[in-house]
Amino acid sequence: MFTENRVVAMLRVVLVVLFGILVLFQTMSLPGQFAYMAKESPEDAYLRWPATIVSVFLVLCVEVVVVATWKLLTLVKNDRIFSDSSMAWVNTIVGAIAAAWLVLVGVLLYVGFKANDPGLPLLLFLLVTGVTVLGLLMVVLRALLRRATTLQTELQGVI
Amino acid sequence: MPIVVRIDVELAKRKMSVGEFAERVGLTPANVAVLKNGRAKAVRFSTLEAMCQVLDCQPGDLLEWVEE
Repeated sequence: MFTENRVVAMLRVVLVVLFGILVLFQTMSLPGQFAYMAKESPEDAYLRWPATIVSVFLVLCVEVVVVATWKLLTLVKNDRIFSDSSMAWVNTIVGAIAAAWLVLVGVLLYVGFKANDPGLPLLLFLLVTGVTVLGLLMVVLRALLRRATTLQTELQGVI
Repeated sequence: MPIVVRIDVELAKRKMSVGEFAERVGLTPANVAVLKNGRAKAVRFSTLEAMCQVLDCQPGDLLEWVEE
């Protein structure tokens, strides 16, 4: 329990930092980056807004995961993680990862058919594979959480 | 509920109050109430042992199977 509390506290600090960086990226870095790229290569300028929207959306998905993780950590701290209330936040995480996966696959297909060098598609493919692993892992963890919750509920009926 | 917990019978025989019973067994009065009205899903052997010790009886005196 002692290590648990310390790790939860540390994780929360890191989550706040991560969230801050993500917001910074989302609001300042990414739109500026694509505006700059549009100015540098006018033949690709039509990609400016789609690329901005897609990247901002992907960052939003990560932010949703961060917030849901924060909420789950609160449940861990209150020793209520094996209750039905945790399932909603786990579902939020799975949903956010699924949404990001769909968008990433779309981008991969679009870029893959247009590309004339394999660098970017390969990088995107790596990203899609990583997100796939993460998403499936979350589904497995959700099943385990559900089983543990059922066990906990059953044990509470034992006197 | 085919298994009935007969705590009240044993308590009445010994003229012991529910509060005293709960304290001596180490259960909360709320849990004793759950046992008495048949809402318990299971009883730990350690709880059963403590109840038998306090009431000086056998598990069979506390648990009874009734046909539905």
